[in-house]
Amino acid sequence: MFIMLALLALAAGAGFVGALSGLGGGVFIVPALLIFAHIPMGVAVGASLISVVATSAGASVAFVRDGWTNLRVAMALECATVTGAVTGAYLAGIVPTWVLELLFALMMLQSAYFTVTKVGDSILPHSDALAARLKLGGRVPAESGDREITYGVVNVPGGATLMVVAGLMSGLLGIGSGALKVMAMDYVMHLPLKVSSATSNFMIGVTAGAGALVFLARGDVATVIAAPVALGVTAGALAGSRLLPHVNVQSLRMMFVAILVLIAVEMGWRALSGF
Amino acid sequence: MDHTTADEERILRVWTPIILRTILVGAILLLLFGLLSIGWQSPGYYVGRFHRLQGHVRYQNRESLTLLASTALKGDPRSIMTIGLMVLTLVPLVRVAFCFLLFVKERDGIYVAFTAYVLIGLVAGIILGRVG
Repeated sequence: MFIMLALLALAAGAGFVGALSGLGGGVFIVPALLIFAHIPMGVAVGASLISVVATSAGASVAFVRDGWTNLRVAMALECATVTGAVTGAYLAGIVPTWVLELLFALMMLQSAYFTVTKVGDSILPHSDALAARLKLGGRVPAESGDREITYGVVNVPGGATLMVVAGLMSGLLGIGSGALKVMAMDYVMHLPLKVSSATSNFMIGVTAGAGALVFLARGDVATVIAAPVALGVTAGALAGSRLLPHVNVQSLRMMFVAILVLIAVEMGWRALSGF
Repeated sequence: MDHTTADEERILRVWTPIILRTILVGAILLLLFGLLSIGWQSPGYYVGRFHRLQGHVRYQNRESLTLLASTALKGDPRSIMTIGLMVLTLVPLVRVAFCFLLFVKERDGIYVAFTAYVLIGLVAGIILGRVG
């Protein structure tokens, strides 16, 4: 019973930090399971993918309801992320553990870089030809709240290419790849940051779901680990998102970056010593 | 420039949250029930499984759906939790299926194709997992 409760607490902590940092629980639960619970990488990835589905399902419902999610952008890019995620989850059963650990370290550094460099919007008023044909543009409330701003979307092929990578990493490493998705939509396709975050959250569930289905069908999900992890991460994420409006996230930013760099160092070290 | 329609509004903001939350709550209840059952009935079983997993490099336990359903009906906590996890992974599938129906209703050929591709991708994942 103690082990079960400890696992629930560990997962709740990962979900809590994931919600506060905006990076999601997957980024923290995989290393937490490896380092503190001594669970093998494959088992941790399977459990994490399911917990990502659970937290994304809860969070994205609110974003969709509030109108921040751009459904057409999400569905167009899902083609890329699902392709990547299914391929990644399939490869996760073949790729050596040290490669996965090394990739995880690199993804942590990318997340840290994104957390440091995340800036404001660079909204374009018009879409390019392909985005216009796909009807990807939209409208968001202005800062003042009494009017709406029209935004355009550009460089769909560039965004889709990064989404294949995001999906691949999600399936291989059990993470939502939210930082990479937001980067693709914000920097490459020029969507407003809040629309990028909401759309990414909507997409994360589907991407992680694609990977989780491969893991479940292959029999790679250890129920005794995945069940408490899914429950714990969901509860922690719920608590984190409730606390989020009352916390100065900017002041915590450097702490999150330090945690991400520490995880990157630990995973990199594991990869190199296991090679 | 804004392409959101009234159907999109109704389906996205009313029906999707209701159905997704129902599935989510159902899955969480199954997981909670399974965990409490294990903790109550056979805590030693949980500890044993946990320690065995720590020693593995790779875990694999492939069961048929029929076997899972029959053992779950007999009250086996691990099977109940496995079904809970499966229900949980249905959430994105249902969400995409909703979007597919929405775009079919709007006769938006490009997005019907996109959502169909995503649905096929999700199903292909299950097949690939079974084969691989």
